[in-house]
Amino acid sequence: MTRLPVPRLFLALAMVLAAIYLFPLYWMYATSLKGQSEIFANPPTFWPRDPDPSIYPETWERRSMGRFLWNSLVIGTGVTALTVLLGTGCAYVLARYRSAWVDLGLFAILMLQVLPASVMITPLYVGFNQLGLLSYPRTAVILAAAGKAIPFYIVLVRATFMNVPRELEEAALVDGNSRWGAFFFIVLPLARNGILVLAILTFMQAFGEYIYAKSIITTQAYQPASVGLSGFLGPNSTDWNGIMAYAAIYVTPIVAIFVILQRRIVAGLTSGALK
Amino acid sequence: MRRILSSVTDGRGFDILLVSITMIFLLALSGMPLVYNVVMSFQEVDMFNLNTFSRPYAGLENYREVVSQPEFGLILKNTAFFVFGSIAGQFVLGFALAMFFMMRFPFAATIRGVFLVSWVMPGLVVGALWGWILAGDFGVLNAILKGIGVIDSTMFWKSDPRLSIWAVTIANIWLGLAFNMMLLSVGLAAIPRDLYEAAELDGANGWHRFTTMTLPMMRSTIGAVLALGLIYTLQQFDLFPAITEGGPANSSNVAQYWAWQYSFLLFDFAKGATVSVMMLGFVLIASIVYVWSTRHEVRG
Amino acid sequence: MTPQIEIASVDKHYGAYHALKDINLTIPRGAFTALVGPSGCGKSTLLRSIAGLESITSGNLRIAGTEMSGVPPRKRDVAMVFQSYALYPHMNVLGNLTYSLRFKGFNKEQARKKADEVAQVIGLTELLERYPRELSGGQRQRVAMGRAIICEPKAFLFDEPLSNLDAALRVHMRMEIRALHDRLGATSVYVTHDQVEAMTMADHVVVMRAGVIEQQGAPLELYDNPANKFVAGFIGSPAMNFLDATVAEDGRSARLEIAGKPVLPLARTLQPGREVTVGLRPEHLRIDTAAPRLQVPVRVVESTGSLTYSTTETEPELMIVEQGRGRYRAGETLPLTIAPEDIHLFDPTSGTAL
Repeated sequence: MTRLPVPRLFLALAMVLAAIYLFPLYWMYATSLKGQSEIFANPPTFWPRDPDPSIYPETWERRSMGRFLWNSLVIGTGVTALTVLLGTGCAYVLARYRSAWVDLGLFAILMLQVLPASVMITPLYVGFNQLGLLSYPRTAVILAAAGKAIPFYIVLVRATFMNVPRELEEAALVDGNSRWGAFFFIVLPLARNGILVLAILTFMQAFGEYIYAKSIITTQAYQPASVGLSGFLGPNSTDWNGIMAYAAIYVTPIVAIFVILQRRIVAGLTSGALK
Repeated sequence: MRRILSSVTDGRGFDILLVSITMIFLLALSGMPLVYNVVMSFQEVDMFNLNTFSRPYAGLENYREVVSQPEFGLILKNTAFFVFGSIAGQFVLGFALAMFFMMRFPFAATIRGVFLVSWVMPGLVVGALWGWILAGDFGVLNAILKGIGVIDSTMFWKSDPRLSIWAVTIANIWLGLAFNMMLLSVGLAAIPRDLYEAAELDGANGWHRFTTMTLPMMRSTIGAVLALGLIYTLQQFDLFPAITEGGPANSSNVAQYWAWQYSFLLFDFAKGATVSVMMLGFVLIASIVYVWSTRHEVRG
Repeated sequence: MTPQIEIASVDKHYGAYHALKDINLTIPRGAFTALVGPSGCGKSTLLRSIAGLESITSGNLRIAGTEMSGVPPRKRDVAMVFQSYALYPHMNVLGNLTYSLRFKGFNKEQARKKADEVAQVIGLTELLERYPRELSGGQRQRVAMGRAIICEPKAFLFDEPLSNLDAALRVHMRMEIRALHDRLGATSVYVTHDQVEAMTMADHVVVMRAGVIEQQGAPLELYDNPANKFVAGFIGSPAMNFLDATVAEDGRSARLEIAGKPVLPLARTLQPGREVTVGLRPEHLRIDTAAPRLQVPVRVVESTGSLTYSTTETEPELMIVEQGRGRYRAGETLPLTIAPEDIHLFDPTSGTAL
């Protein structure tokens, strides 16, 4: 839009903006490395005077993070597997055809996508309770969270499938494939990148899922890391370096994956959300 | 039987099979709970009949009770503040950033992408970070604001009833800002550059170009982004338990957290369902706006 | 000749839209048949119905004597060349060529041997390891052809295969496809919107419009004896001139509804006073200074050196093609004549030839 001759200046400004925006993330790592007294220094120190990483193994041990993270991993993997399994085929069909039925299905899915989890949790909890699913709390959370993730996944993966030319599939049919063969050997390999990115996004979301797990899983041994964090978090928390260390351990893998795949995630996300 | 089988391998049966499995799953885990929610809001639900399907019909009793709660008005006000404050903040800042990153300079797209990290972080962790940043005596935000002379006394963001709703709103603006920016960038990128060049030749200055080119061309994008903002803000839950737990004295409580408190702190599932159904009304309006704004995408 | 593809009373509906209306067409074994018509005429739908990519609503479709309605594409033993070539981007040329052999029980070595043979035929031997994105347009076209011929199908189906190529390459590939067809003794059905392609390549041309076959026959048969005004206007380039006219009192000449009301002698007798539409091909209108039948002012003259196109300043305007450089300039008057047997006559309301 503008042709000012100082792109360097803009780059510097952009980096300052990014630094301000990402300050909370920095503050998390900085706080976690401070000692108990330095946290409550006034004014706060912006660079830890005496960085002490020993809080990490200590928090890991004391908050039994291994178990919490394992549960998050189980839930994240379960939700992702279920979402990819159920969402991919549906997204493909909705991308392939244009008819009143497809519009209706898409409309229904868009509507399901917008339902807040806080609205769904009450009936889901009561329903799961009646069906006896609450005895398998992690499975129940996986089912509930997949129900939430699938519509989002379908909308975005559908955009990926729309980029696979229909003629390729037809060529495969004429070449001797059944619909299944054409889908698995031609269409899926070509949509692989988009599916992968969205599977990772789905995993990230499910890895941080809180409300369903908090409401459904009452046994501590099955709770994910988000519920574990909420256990010592609230308006009156004081153990801030412990909380920040916990948070850092929890989000660092997600942030790392995001930074590595940033370009693809952004592309996958923007292609389908709006056109 | 053979016909059905061959339709599944070669014909329409294949499509129908793929769609119907997913649709049945979604119906069971989203559609039916939705209906069940409405049903429960008209029932008396207590710990004794929780496991049965035949519960006493309560008519509008639940609605009457919810509305007559002393905190009802406050929570309504808070929800409106949280929703509109978040949307306004996310949208205005997001639009400004999107415009900024449309300018050509090295690494613009990469730096813009980095912003999105806020969106992939677990909501509870974001809540924890902001809970610490907004802490009263030792929070870094107070220190910064004092340092640059904006305030001179400590602001108790989380414990002052006049400020607590601001605390969650600020955290939510941070959380959703990047997503807004990303969607608006897509819309901006779709506007052909030569339109601006033509407008410039016609003598339009920057402000004119923004109001006569950018805004009209972005109309459907803006509609969708605002609607999505409403939807995502009403979905936001994790920040509340992490920062204020709705307090003090419901001063930062909103409908979605209130509904959950009814069901899972007070175990009054009927009231929880009732508050949820009331919220659904807003969500439905937002989704209709959203679907309408993206209808050409739907037609694909 | 034995029929290879027989299409009898085929109809196709998309909801309320009637895409193919009572199509009857027999394609002999070894023939090169072109389906031609403007876009939306149903030619592609018909081709895709033969392939099995579209289902027909009613009627019969037989390939090599076997009824095919309801049979999936993979069991029809046909090959198709798509407009976009539809090369599998994640496979190299060898993979693309041999893909269909997987389903026909070939093992790896046999498939490789077959691919080498085909690559030889279409001149792709050097490119077997390349991926589609590394090929030029013409090479991709060749791979698409190779993929079609490798499985020795009962019929080749071409869906506008040359429309993505530039003009020079298109003319070249036209000959190549036809030569390949002759060498393989194959049965080909070729869809195009370009009547020149249809006329030059095919033994049998089927002209379609709005889901209906308007006329079918040998290319020059369609040129010489178009069944109606639509075919007459569609076949031949530049297009035929149409003029309203009235049959004169003698019944053996027509008075044209154009400035000066010139009279043209006809090769046959019609009822005097009858209103007709006269069709005059631009290349049949000759310049004749000795005994001109009509004199028309010229508005535009365009010459390519070998041919000169003149557009007249009349209502309706006429197009005239003459060999070589034009002798007349814009603003001058052209003296024209036409042989009576070159005049086409159509019914003005129904458009059918008289």
